[in-house]
Amino acid sequence: MTSPFARQRYLIDYTLAALGRRRGKNAGLLAIYTLVVFVLASAMLFASAIRFESTAVLADAPELTVQELVMGRHGLLPADHLDKLSAIRGVATVEGRLWGYFYDRANGANYTLMVPGRDAAEYSVGPGEAIIGEGLARSRGFKEGGALLLVSQTGKLLKARIKSVLSNDSALVSSDLALISEVDYRRFFELPDGVYTDAAVSIRNPREIAKIVEKATLALPSARFVTRSDIARTYESLFDWREGLLVALAAAAILAFAIFAAEKASGLSAEEAREIGILKAIGWDTTDIIAMKLWEGGLVSLGAFLLGTVLAYIHVFLFAAGLFEPVLKGWSVLYPDFALAPRIDALQLATLFVLTVIPYTAATLVPIWRTAVTDPDEVMR
Amino acid sequence: MTTTPAGAGGMIELKDVTKLYNEGRPNEVRAVAGANLVVERDKVTVFKGPSGSGKTTLLSIVGCLSRPTTGRVLLDGELVSGLPERFLTEVRRSTFGFVFQRFNLVRGLTVIDNVMLPAYPLAPPHAELRERALARLDALGLAGKAEMPVEHLSGGETQRAAIARALINDPKIVIADEPTANLDTALTERFLEIVAELRAEGRTVLMTSHDPRIWQSDLVDAVVEMRDGRIVGEFA
Amino acid sequence: MRRSSLALALVAGLTVALLGAFLHAASSVGETAARLEETRHLVARLGLSDLTLFTEARYTRHPAMADLHTPFQDHPMAFEHFPSGTLVPPPAHLPGGELRIVPAEDAR
Repeated sequence: MTSPFARQRYLIDYTLAALGRRRGKNAGLLAIYTLVVFVLASAMLFASAIRFESTAVLADAPELTVQELVMGRHGLLPADHLDKLSAIRGVATVEGRLWGYFYDRANGANYTLMVPGRDAAEYSVGPGEAIIGEGLARSRGFKEGGALLLVSQTGKLLKARIKSVLSNDSALVSSDLALISEVDYRRFFELPDGVYTDAAVSIRNPREIAKIVEKATLALPSARFVTRSDIARTYESLFDWREGLLVALAAAAILAFAIFAAEKASGLSAEEAREIGILKAIGWDTTDIIAMKLWEGGLVSLGAFLLGTVLAYIHVFLFAAGLFEPVLKGWSVLYPDFALAPRIDALQLATLFVLTVIPYTAATLVPIWRTAVTDPDEVMR
Repeated sequence: MTTTPAGAGGMIELKDVTKLYNEGRPNEVRAVAGANLVVERDKVTVFKGPSGSGKTTLLSIVGCLSRPTTGRVLLDGELVSGLPERFLTEVRRSTFGFVFQRFNLVRGLTVIDNVMLPAYPLAPPHAELRERALARLDALGLAGKAEMPVEHLSGGETQRAAIARALINDPKIVIADEPTANLDTALTERFLEIVAELRAEGRTVLMTSHDPRIWQSDLVDAVVEMRDGRIVGEFA
Repeated sequence: MRRSSLALALVAGLTVALLGAFLHAASSVGETAARLEETRHLVARLGLSDLTLFTEARYTRHPAMADLHTPFQDHPMAFEHFPSGTLVPPPAHLPGGELRIVPAEDAR
């Protein structure tokens, strides 16, 4: 009785010896395949990690944000809107917020200037003080205790002492922030009193949010309402779209690779066909030949899958997805220096496994099928 | 598999064996037409005849490499011609060793890898198989070339490697198709010596040849002459 | 060493490495939880709504807040996002009347 395991090991011996004949070519094939898997796995791991991160981090974003729309565009919110919102039953607090963008000619970066809210005690800043984000500090070389110096387009000067720099840990949400006092903000942007960028509304019972939005729409017909779940949905679709794009590209790459592999194998040379004939004549079964070819495709693709995935994990979580930085960065001058929480989505990994191992193995196997069932006496002729 | 007692008739029997290629098509070829034959055990039998006489086809039917179109093949009294492919492979693996005309070693593999190939589906312990293969190669004077790719062997060495491969599963019957077609006189002598050793080991040897040096040799016990797919004569 | 031993050992090694990655991910949950908690606190206190991944325009900096018709209007050198943007030339008042990337040094 022969042990099936011992038999399969012999088949592996043979398939490796056969692969070893074109060592350079096959090693190159493995390397390219590993690279394809690496890019695909990196994209999947990165997308799933950042999705997780954004969901976790933005779970406490404002429940309801109210914007004023003027001619379909974002306008300033008059202070009397705040009172109208407060009057709605079920609304806990309404806070007029001040935040906006500043394009810094010095380094070509966009900052988000913001006035911290009333209850943000640990981030409160007095006139002439500022708290800045990690990216802003890094790109301009600002240090805690130094001076933040910005000149507006109309020539207004903002000079503030840097009270503190926000920790790297929160870079993903705070990298480009500059928190300044309301007085400084209104002066710098020449913004009159009684207007706000938007309003953050907190609600007593989260289940009433739809009802409250309905009432608020009647009270403020010109306003736009963004709920917390809208934010979550925006990010969900944003990452789905970006990941989908990358996966579609990489899937095309895999498909092209499978076609290439099938093409290579289907041009099954007379020599290879003869080899299979020899093996059959000296006592190999059709199943042995097929198993041997399965091992060839399986080992190459499994090796590429494992190696590519492990390298992708290292790339994304130990090297902060460094290779993607130029892609993600795009036009932004500031790019947050952030680390993602390491996590692996098992289902996604299984999908990747199926995507990489099965097409390749099938591509190596299918062309051999016909040859494997031919009569062994071919070699005698 | 059961074996018949010694002397209980032929080891291989062919009854009314016919082989057609491209059956039912315009290019139909009748390679073997109604062959009846008994091959005795522990003997050296040679099929002789001109090219196209059907001797190679007959040899492949005897060796279970192909099935007859009609007729029956019995091995040790058991019918093998009707066996499904899978069982036929098993019979072939356990009973026959093949030395092909063009030797058919797998290029790019080492000599020892080639020799071990027929044993892979049987999966014996690896160390034991390697030892066995080395012993075979040693007996045939190829021990020093075991790790060499087969392309680097000379014609005679290639044949001896092919013989070592044929013997790795210790077959009762060794089949050789035109074994001396590519060999000079000295190497033919060497081959006949090996055949003598095989017979001494108690193996049945079946060959095709149109080389007089083979069928005129004292070693040969029986000569079967073929022409146009028919057996036209048998000499002891 | 047999080729199959080498190959199976490699596959086994890589499988262990992959399991190691799973373990690494599982073991860093506690570590990252603190960081996430701190960030979440910051988000709650300041009422932040978006990630700073793309800071070039409000449409990318605050995708959740931007009204839907104003992509890429904040960066003076920005490309238009909509397909029609490829047909409309950039504003003439931009440097040299042509679109080019100004390195930070030049702008200074």
